[in-house]
Amino acid sequence: MGIIRTEQLVFEYIRRDEEGNVEGITRAVDEVDLDVEQGDFVAILGHNGSGKSTLAKHINAILYPTEGTVWVDGMNTQDDKDLWNIRQEAGMVFQNPDNQIIGQVVEEDVGFGPENMGVPTEEIWERVEESLKAVGMYAYRKFSPNKLSGGQKQRVSIAGVIAMHPKCIILDEPTAMLDPNGRKEVVRAVRGLNDVEGITVVLITHYMEEIIHADKVFVMDKGKIAMQGTPREIFSQVEKLKELRLDVPQVTLLAHELQKMGVNLPNGILTVEELTKELLKAGQSVK
Amino acid sequence: MLRDITLGQYYQTDSVIHKLDPRVKLIATVCFIVSLFVVKSWVGYVAAAVFLAVMIKLSNVPFKFMVKGMRAIVFILLITVVFNLFLTPGEVLVSFWKFRITREGLHLAVMMAVRLSFLIIGSSVMTLTTTPNSLTDGMEKLMKPLKVCKVPVHEVAMMMSIALRFIPILLEETDKIMKAQIARGADFESGNLIKKARAMVPLLVPLFISAFRRANDLAMAMEARCYRGGENRTKMKPLRYAGRDRIAYGVLAAYFALCVVIRIYL
Repeated sequence: MGIIRTEQLVFEYIRRDEEGNVEGITRAVDEVDLDVEQGDFVAILGHNGSGKSTLAKHINAILYPTEGTVWVDGMNTQDDKDLWNIRQEAGMVFQNPDNQIIGQVVEEDVGFGPENMGVPTEEIWERVEESLKAVGMYAYRKFSPNKLSGGQKQRVSIAGVIAMHPKCIILDEPTAMLDPNGRKEVVRAVRGLNDVEGITVVLITHYMEEIIHADKVFVMDKGKIAMQGTPREIFSQVEKLKELRLDVPQVTLLAHELQKMGVNLPNGILTVEELTKELLKAGQSVK
Repeated sequence: MLRDITLGQYYQTDSVIHKLDPRVKLIATVCFIVSLFVVKSWVGYVAAAVFLAVMIKLSNVPFKFMVKGMRAIVFILLITVVFNLFLTPGEVLVSFWKFRITREGLHLAVMMAVRLSFLIIGSSVMTLTTTPNSLTDGMEKLMKPLKVCKVPVHEVAMMMSIALRFIPILLEETDKIMKAQIARGADFESGNLIKKARAMVPLLVPLFISAFRRANDLAMAMEARCYRGGENRTKMKPLRYAGRDRIAYGVLAAYFALCVVIRIYL
């Protein structure tokens, strides 16, 4: 059994009018089965309102399933006695960096999680140092978070989660409010954690470029899992991605269009280098 | 323009006073204020003035910077002085038209002015030399005994430090909303006070909504990081008394004893 597993997970938002009568029910997550192995880099894709953030909040036990079950490292999220263990093992990074930094100094914010867990003072300092180094923010440890850029703030948030020594971290659109440079910084930091520290990563995003390095990709639509597979498998189905209102990376799109025009190219090209190589090959075979 | 407001001003420099435990500074400030009301004679005020002057000297904060903070209370000071000067009955010194200045009035007015300005300067020495964060830490630790009577000490301290953290963010947001509304023709500059105040309403509504949204997000983020109140929580930077703090307590006790002696014998 993987570290994160959901079985027939359903979550319904119930809208009520002023008297408390049920006005309508929206199924945000609809019978989702998910299985994430320890050490994996998993990406969950979906356009706005596809239920991907709601799904993420279930893994951290912020939301509880209406139906079905979520297990984190073998613990049921609906089991109250495991609540704090689950939150420690499955760290969560949110979208807006300003709204999740609590401390007035970078190092104090990173120490917030360990403080809550009751870690002894000396160990907090060790953890703060190692997690700030892991995201490359150690030089900024004495700064006020207000003086950092968006990408830097988000890296501090990630450090704050790592300091709790989680087994996996869930990033809920961590790059949605950042500029392209900040996005690159954050994605690089996340990949480093996965490669070097072996932390399981669940990255929720709607930027296709960020999922190229994932081991497995789930595409969500209307609360259901619409597609799943490796990035290459996903990107080879350009028409279906367009149908789900997702932006395919430009290289992949170009390759797809060329393919349609009759150029002999394989499916699911992800990078510029790859396309150049394949085009050269295709050119030679024509001669 | 809103960024000019500096709340909980902290003057960054290195000094003995800066390094003191915040608890010492809090207690010292309270003691100093009490001592101002304990002493009644001029000798007492000289003692207080000397004590204050030594503290300012030790804090390495330029005196000019402190006087700046006084500007805000000049008005209150003036009112106190005027009322005391003219409305205290007693032996008449000068009188013109309907006003009389009495000897008692003059004495009281000067005393009040001295007391008030010492009080303000004294407490500003504390805020200028202590970061807001260590100030809340100190308060939390000092108020801990109140926990017995169910006062949520930790929660109050946490609220204070979060509020301080969000001041610059909310100021920035206000600035943004203001600019967005100015761009659409809103006028915050012209008109009298009432008109200006009314112009603030469309500014406050979006600001409040966004503040609530932020609060909601922050609460979620805190829970996701295992926050569950002050129970079983450890401190990254626990407050510990050092040698200099004990010396400071000694100096403080000596000063306070001196004030009491002055009150009794002089």
